Amino acid sequence: MAKEAMLDEWYPVGLFSQVKTTAYKTALMGEPIEVSVGADGNAIVTTSGGRVLSSRVRYGHVWSSIGDPQKEIFSIPEADQPGRRFVDVGVVRVRCSPLRAVENFLDIAHFPFVHTDILGAEPHTEVQNYKVEIRDVEDEVWATQVKFYQPQAAKSASGGITTEYMYRVPAPTCSVLYKTCPPRPSEWDVITLFVQPLAEDLCDVWPWMALFDDETSMTDLIHFQQTIFLQDRSILENQIPRLLPLDPGMEIPTRADLTSVAYRRWLKRHNYTYGAQLVAQ
Amino acid sequence: MSADTTGFWTPVALSADLPSGTVIPAHTRAGSIALWRSDSGRVAASADRCPHRGMRLSYGFVRGETLSCIYHGWSYTQTGNCLRIPAHPGLTPPDTIRVATHLVEEADGVIWVAVGEPVHPPPKLEGLVALRSLTMHADVTTIEAASGAKSDETGLLKATQQYDTMWLLLSEQEQGHTLVHVLLDGDNTLGHRISASRAVESLRRCAEDLQARRSRDG
Amino acid sequence: MKLYDYILSPSCYKVRLMAALTGLSLDIRPVDFHPGGEHRKAELLALNPAGSIPILEDGDLLLTESSAMLVYLAGKAAPEWLGDGTAEQSARLQQWLSFSHRLTANLGGARLHEMLLRPGDIALLQAQGVAALRELEAGLVEQGLRGMPFLASDRPTVADIACFPYVALAPDGGVSVDPYPAIRRWSRAIRALDNFIEMPGIHRLHELKPEPQIGTGKE
Repeated sequence: MAKEAMLDEWYPVGLFSQVKTTAYKTALMGEPIEVSVGADGNAIVTTSGGRVLSSRVRYGHVWSSIGDPQKEIFSIPEADQPGRRFVDVGVVRVRCSPLRAVENFLDIAHFPFVHTDILGAEPHTEVQNYKVEIRDVEDEVWATQVKFYQPQAAKSASGGITTEYMYRVPAPTCSVLYKTCPPRPSEWDVITLFVQPLAEDLCDVWPWMALFDDETSMTDLIHFQQTIFLQDRSILENQIPRLLPLDPGMEIPTRADLTSVAYRRWLKRHNYTYGAQLVAQ
Repeated sequence: MSADTTGFWTPVALSADLPSGTVIPAHTRAGSIALWRSDSGRVAASADRCPHRGMRLSYGFVRGETLSCIYHGWSYTQTGNCLRIPAHPGLTPPDTIRVATHLVEEADGVIWVAVGEPVHPPPKLEGLVALRSLTMHADVTTIEAASGAKSDETGLLKATQQYDTMWLLLSEQEQGHTLVHVLLDGDNTLGHRISASRAVESLRRCAEDLQARRSRDG
Repeated sequence: MKLYDYILSPSCYKVRLMAALTGLSLDIRPVDFHPGGEHRKAELLALNPAGSIPILEDGDLLLTESSAMLVYLAGKAAPEWLGDGTAEQSARLQQWLSFSHRLTANLGGARLHEMLLRPGDIALLQAQGVAALRELEAGLVEQGLRGMPFLASDRPTVADIACFPYVALAPDGGVSVDPYPAIRRWSRAIRALDNFIEMPGIHRLHELKPEPQIGTGKE
């Protein structure tokens, strides 16, 4: 699929805390790149041929682009709130389309079956209606008033609660989840999935979090999020077709899938088709 | 195989390898299959793909007479209709939500799935007892060469390794691999069976060596 | 008993699983293996210079090999998991415990490479993994012919727990377990044991729970 429209986007390419002076070799959309840190402590990203690429350090990660980004990396205002703990969850490689990885992150109906007894459990499988919109000003997909009953929603929760969520897609391969925060019910915990497209059917997933939680150890927070993602991984590697279908016909959504439907429509509108397929095959 | 032009039967698995209440992946030339046996013992072959978000149904689970997808729990009957969608407990899923199914026959310890619409039933394997199935990274021609025998019209190859005689039912898969179902004559002891199992492992080594040499030499 | 543990480590999971199956409780000390590399830092190297996890501490006893941990847990709480004590069964057990270390290297190495970007010769690791799975399949076929559903006996032993995790997670490293019917049956038998616990990448067997009655989920 054509990659032009997605060339000018920002993508995560490494954890800033782990970048060294010796180059870390990776790729963006098939193009080999190298990530390192210079003598001044700044991140350097180049193609393996030596062309210097734009780069930023944001949300604990190094970001880069093989094109020419027209805007800055999306903002997450909650990340600037004092008292938040930032969690670098660590990279996991998945043999799937970067778009499938994002779509799975937006889905809640799978909680009782894939994240059994953690994020959901039978018989509490119903997905109640929620609101979805594509916000014109920000040009982002937003799902709000999402609710799901969970036996153990977060490390900081002490039992089953009905968790409220908001989902946001600010870039084609990034998603931000806002989740009920048990220690501070008026705030949202922020959990993100930043996906680095290596190829149309291969990606490196970099989850990250900004939480209000003064009790749980950093390692426990990392392990909880890795557990959730690893449970999704074997689903992601077994979806057919590998490329995300953007046209109706191949796959059948229901009302529980409104966020994914809006995501696919938004991708198609922008021609974000790297990792996607058009016209039912 | 048979002279049917409207379709043919593929031996996909041994009955003993599909207990009640389980689902396994299988393959025919028509595509990937989720082969499953309901709690009551009935076998069905569904296309290995849930129409919701494309998840392989062979990763799913069987409850009663239905097969459910591991991703969101969508449940299907043996004829392919979607019975329920857990995210919407009150909803009766429309008929348009279904998975394709294929004809299945089970006889003499072997499960066969139809490609197209065969006129005749699958070949009989009278007097033979299924031992095990295994996959060889070699094509049928190479396995025949390694065993020094040819398969007959029913697809059965009589292989003799040293002191063991075995019947191999061959089913060519993708990537030049062959699924081999090993059957023995009815009268055999535990010792015979273990010996036969090891003999077919030897045959596999032979066939795969031969295949590797053939591939290398072009 | 204190277990230095990483939730995604199949070797650590062997110990967690054994504890669950035998009713022992473990004091879990989480190790930031990835991305933190904590297993290779001073505190843990002081306990285990090999830099590996799991590490099991029980008073004076410090164990760094997962097979030894399984044997210890069984010895303490459920000796039936060690077999009947005959020379033959003990030997079968040892054979498969030794075999299980090869799975850590090949299937485990493939998984670390494919999933967590660790270095390795992936084609070789996968080929070795396939060879190991075929050996396991042949062994289980023969056990099945003898009427025994488990590796060393008619009941599960530490040998089964030692081999199960890397086999169940082989697909994480790009090695399919589809071609092995006996392994599939054995894996299912283990997952259906009372007090079985999963790890991320091994799904719950939902078929073991009957279909819930249709409702809106409010109890």
